[in-house]
Amino acid sequence: MKKLKIKPQKLFNVAITYLIILAVCFVFLFPILWLVLASFSKTGSIYSFEGFFPAELSLDSFKRLFTDTALYNYPRWFLNTLFIALMSSLIGTSLTILTAYVMSRFRFKTRKAMMKMTLILGMFPSFMTMTAVYLMMTQFNLINQQWGLILIYSAGAPMGYLTQKGFFDTIPSSIDEAARIDGASNFKIFVRITLPLAAPMIVYTLLSSFVWPWSDFILPQLLLKNKDLYTVAVGLMSLDDTEFSRFAAGSVFIAVPIVVFYFALSKFLISGLSAGAVKQ
Amino acid sequence: MQEAQTTKERKGFSGLGRRIAAYFKALPGRIREKFALAREILSQGNGKVRASMLFMGAGQLLYRQWAKGILYVLVEIAFLMYFILRGASDLLGFFTLGTVESNAWYGIEGDNSVIMMLMGILAWIALLFYAVLYIANIKDCYAIQCAADTLKAPKSFKKELSELLDKKFYKTALALPIVGVSVFSILPIIFMILIAFTNYGGDIVPPALVDWVWFDNFGRILTLGQFAPTFFKIFGWNIIWAVLSTALNYFAGLGLALLLNKKCVKGKTFWRLFPILAYAVPGFITLIAFKYMFSYGGPINQMIVDAGGTAIGFLDIDAKWTARIIGLFANAWLNIPSSMLLATGILSNMNTDLYEAARVDGASAWKQFVKITLPYVLFATMPVLISQFIANFNNFGIFYFLRGGLYMEGYFLASDTDLLINWLYNMSIDNNYYSIGAAISIIIFIVTSVISLAVYVLSPSYKQEETYQ
Amino acid sequence: MANLSLKHIYKVYPNGTKAVNDFNMQIDDKEFIVFVGPSGCGKSTMLRMIAGLEEITAGELRIGDVVVNDMEPKDRDIAMVFQNYALYPHMNIYENIAFGLRMRKIPDVKRNKQGGPVLDRAGKPVKVMRRYTKEELDEKVLGAAGVLGITEYLKKKPKEMSGGQRQRVALGRAIVREPKVMLLDEPLSNLDAKLRTQMRSEIVKLHDRLQTTFIYVTHDQVEAMTMGTRIVVMKDGYIQQVDTPKNVYQNPSNKFVAGFIGTPQMNFFEGTLCRTGERVEMRFKGSECPVTASCDILGKAIPRYLDGKTPVWIGLRADDITIGAAGEKERGATIRVKISHTEELGTETLVYGDIDLTRDTFGESPTQVIMKAAGFENFRSGDVVDAVLRLENVHLFDFQTEESILPRIPKYNYLSCTVQEGRLTAAGIELTLPDAMQCPDGAYELLLPTDAVTLGGETEAEVLSSETADGKPLARLNVGGSSLFALIDARAGEKVRLSFDLKRIALRQNGEEVVSPMPLMNSVVGTFALDRVKARPQEGKRGKVNAYSFVIGGQKYRAPMDVAQKMFAALSGRKAFTAQFRYEFTSYDLKISEHGLPAEVEKVLDYGTETFVKCKVCGSDFYVPVTGDVPRSICLEPDFEKIGVTETEREIKIV
Repeated sequence: MKKLKIKPQKLFNVAITYLIILAVCFVFLFPILWLVLASFSKTGSIYSFEGFFPAELSLDSFKRLFTDTALYNYPRWFLNTLFIALMSSLIGTSLTILTAYVMSRFRFKTRKAMMKMTLILGMFPSFMTMTAVYLMMTQFNLINQQWGLILIYSAGAPMGYLTQKGFFDTIPSSIDEAARIDGASNFKIFVRITLPLAAPMIVYTLLSSFVWPWSDFILPQLLLKNKDLYTVAVGLMSLDDTEFSRFAAGSVFIAVPIVVFYFALSKFLISGLSAGAVKQ
Repeated sequence: MQEAQTTKERKGFSGLGRRIAAYFKALPGRIREKFALAREILSQGNGKVRASMLFMGAGQLLYRQWAKGILYVLVEIAFLMYFILRGASDLLGFFTLGTVESNAWYGIEGDNSVIMMLMGILAWIALLFYAVLYIANIKDCYAIQCAADTLKAPKSFKKELSELLDKKFYKTALALPIVGVSVFSILPIIFMILIAFTNYGGDIVPPALVDWVWFDNFGRILTLGQFAPTFFKIFGWNIIWAVLSTALNYFAGLGLALLLNKKCVKGKTFWRLFPILAYAVPGFITLIAFKYMFSYGGPINQMIVDAGGTAIGFLDIDAKWTARIIGLFANAWLNIPSSMLLATGILSNMNTDLYEAARVDGASAWKQFVKITLPYVLFATMPVLISQFIANFNNFGIFYFLRGGLYMEGYFLASDTDLLINWLYNMSIDNNYYSIGAAISIIIFIVTSVISLAVYVLSPSYKQEETYQ
Repeated sequence: MANLSLKHIYKVYPNGTKAVNDFNMQIDDKEFIVFVGPSGCGKSTMLRMIAGLEEITAGELRIGDVVVNDMEPKDRDIAMVFQNYALYPHMNIYENIAFGLRMRKIPDVKRNKQGGPVLDRAGKPVKVMRRYTKEELDEKVLGAAGVLGITEYLKKKPKEMSGGQRQRVALGRAIVREPKVMLLDEPLSNLDAKLRTQMRSEIVKLHDRLQTTFIYVTHDQVEAMTMGTRIVVMKDGYIQQVDTPKNVYQNPSNKFVAGFIGTPQMNFFEGTLCRTGERVEMRFKGSECPVTASCDILGKAIPRYLDGKTPVWIGLRADDITIGAAGEKERGATIRVKISHTEELGTETLVYGDIDLTRDTFGESPTQVIMKAAGFENFRSGDVVDAVLRLENVHLFDFQTEESILPRIPKYNYLSCTVQEGRLTAAGIELTLPDAMQCPDGAYELLLPTDAVTLGGETEAEVLSSETADGKPLARLNVGGSSLFALIDARAGEKVRLSFDLKRIALRQNGEEVVSPMPLMNSVVGTFALDRVKARPQEGKRGKVNAYSFVIGGQKYRAPMDVAQKMFAALSGRKAFTAQFRYEFTSYDLKISEHGLPAEVEKVLDYGTETFVKCKVCGSDFYVPVTGDVPRSICLEPDFEKIGVTETEREIKIV
């Protein structure tokens, strides 16, 4: 009998907890829901909405997004962004993982100095260097070149090696030593032991270094002047005020793959984020 | 309690002081140690080592290490070619920043000061790489001498190559990242630091010649009527913003994580998807959505109008504090999810024995939070907290997307919601005030690094390094 | 399947801390060596140096006959088992065991398509290196898994297995390569107590089965005692004792070893010893009751501790202090103990007490004592009882140095003697002192090294007993009523004649050395240099080759190549040419010759049968045997093959 009786105070506690959770989830969901519904709006402009949500739903915006390419060539932008983000993500991730592995496993003379250096460099505001990067790109003839962007994104990636280093630090060094005694060189250890063990971390790094170029706006705007080279972010920003539902449709379209990724990998996300928090 | 606090703080600072003192005390010894090898090479190196000092690779060739010797010789030739063809003049141009003014009338193509400075820095970096390689070459030749003198077989070229994948794998692995970071991070930063000491910007852009003006720009920002009021206003708001938004994101994220971590909550993974959804959607999209949502014709105003009110300009030019608060919450909306995920990860690593012990001791839920959870999480996330603070201090996106392009009265090329980073953008990207922008960047750098250092020194992570290990 | 030789091995960290100090040891094939010591004693560092995971700062490490100092771990033919198993988490057990084989290539001959060997022009098979085939891998992995009983888990991942199984996999990974030496770094400390005992005997069985050399590191003295054929006890980077478990237990060389080995810990009392005739009286600090024992137990003790004043540590194991059984009291050596508490162990009872009856027996005290009582007996806290001491098992240690004063081989015999008109008389010994040892008449203490006594001579003696200690024959002799130890091979009851090496004898009066033994080790400081010399035609080289020399007093003396090699092994880079060395020569390796080290003769020392000269070489005293007259200025030609070399800055012994 005793077991079935739930204390009213506890019940109240649970109810309040769920109430707060529901409220929080609503807050997080609502703007996105609004955006998604707006993308299905028939008229296209928010001024025709009744209340929050569009009166009539249709797929027109998406259709126009992909067919009406005369002024706003969305498919082109999408492919541009995909290419830039994929390339930067691949190159950037390999550089980051290599850097993190080396910083975690090797003890060389300049190691401490390099680690301090990256900390200091990280303190400089990122826009500070925009002018210089722009000038440099003009000198290297990389304005209006997708590779110029890829170069900048992937070259900057190793600066954020700390999260990955934190992860490598948690792999006991005796595993490396065992492999060394088993006859593996450091390169082989890296390829055959460390990389497979770091698979979750690699996925996390790939994802996070994909998202940055995928949704960056400033750098492409600065370096890509040709409309055909625009990335989605720059393109969407160049949309007219009255094209809100087109904006919404374009946004939803690029947000969906990332959201799917994030949902699928939410476990890695948690471990990845907290690995970076391990104190040095 | 208060007393204990202050002694702790003093400990933090004096500990740092002691460490700095110890550092400088040990410095002469360390310098001597650094140059011990140089002295040894100078006194012990034989003729072949000296040959390598004169020309890279010469000693290696004399020791019949053909492959390596030829490689070094080629490197030397490449560098010499570079310096003869353009490096030397680049180095010089770095100091003069150009002497010939262009004159379209006479058809004189003048010097482009800015490019000269950029190329000058590049030449300096190249010179540094050259010096590093040169020293490596001398050390290598000395190592060959050591081996030859002590009856050891010198390493074969093949062996050295295979070492690059083993003992010296770090060199192989770091080569590309170092070059990349040098060119795309260090070079631009040095360039901009130097720009802060020139008069580049405004009317003085190429083809006009740029010149060194040293600390004038800083003086102008802090004293000149044009910049100073704007600077101090923005600076004050920037600090408030950074503190408020960091605290809000951090504690709300932690609270959310704790809430979802409660034993009575079922379906944790499902509930977690909502914040992750917010985390996943690219920031600029949500920010623009927010802008539309709060705009005059946006849904919120429509509802107000429908309810019989008048439309409110939430983000209007005179909406100082509403705009700021909307910014604060929009930022929270964007960043709480990552705080929450981080806290969830940290909490899952936490030792639950502590709670059991606390429960046995009869601590209330609030006491448990304050005495156990908070210190632990603060300790574990202190570096992240600092970096979040810096990220918020330099949060460009929020007001750029919500209220971009507004210039207000009383502000020079800025609005009352702009942060220093926005001002910097307005000045240097939109309005060509390059040197002033660079000087602002340096001020931002100094402020953020001083604050983070102070926070770190005073933080529990620094003070009780052993407690949780 | 190899012996190891460790010579003068040092590990010095850049900040100057020495983790391992002058480690010398010979390990025979198939031995099971256990390095044991408290944490930070350098045992793991030593093991990791053998494995090649840490660099050896100085010294020479041979596995088999090969110097492996500069070899990679994989080339040393060793295998290692780690404390945390260090299995590869992403591989299954089969892959974990096979990984080491997959990384390796084995020599084979090149084969054609039919499987026959390909012959080169000379008709010999062409040699190639190849990887293991799948069949070979299967065979080896299954073999190793079979030995360890993990065949059924081969498809599992490490995280699906228990601690004991994981450790078995780690062992399997080690043995599959059939290494010459197995290194085990605290492999059992992550296991629970029961599993540990079980794995302990399994590892011992594995050692019996594999018949290969095992080196095992542990901080657990029980593991050391039960597993090792020999134990190396270490502390602060120094070897304390190397011996069989039995000898380490019975004859600990110092207080640390005595306290570290054996449970419960040995009891140590501060006390004094006083010898009167054939009895010795022991007094314990804090206790009122002295005990007396026959002098036999102190046979090898150094006399100056027996004056009743010099403090010593008296060590007795709990097994050697019994209480309860009343009958044993007759044996005399009893001490009164106040009991504080007891621990019942079933077959016996550990009784904690204090010999200081006034003390409140809570917590640690220097007078605390742990005793054994058979079976369950009732003692109440506060009871005062008589404890019987088995004094034949007593251990005595110097109070300051904590070295044993009951060495297995005593270094010196201490005798009292008188000197009158150049003749020395001790009990049963009469010697004519040679010129070099002349001293005023009077009574002296004679310090006669045990190894300075040899067979064949004037003095008659009777062998009382003989034994073998540390591999050397040791005889106890009766010479005219006093006992004397000598390193001679003789049977008990035999009558022998003895002679004494006079130059090794010291005479003391009131603690001051009146006649000193002649130092047989001569040392001088110098440097080391490289010369380029013309190659001799028989060396098959043209042009110039390297030659090395010791530089002593500005003069160069050609150094033997093997000595040079050892110096280069100990000192990296060209440090050998910039460092200072202490060169040591035994007196008998120095010859007077036409050329060599210039020396100024200061004194001629006549020891009757032998004559030595004391001379100055570059400011250092040298003692050299001579025959006949010598001029004032001579040249000494050392035998450089037998030189001893020590680097002076870090005190690293090289040769």
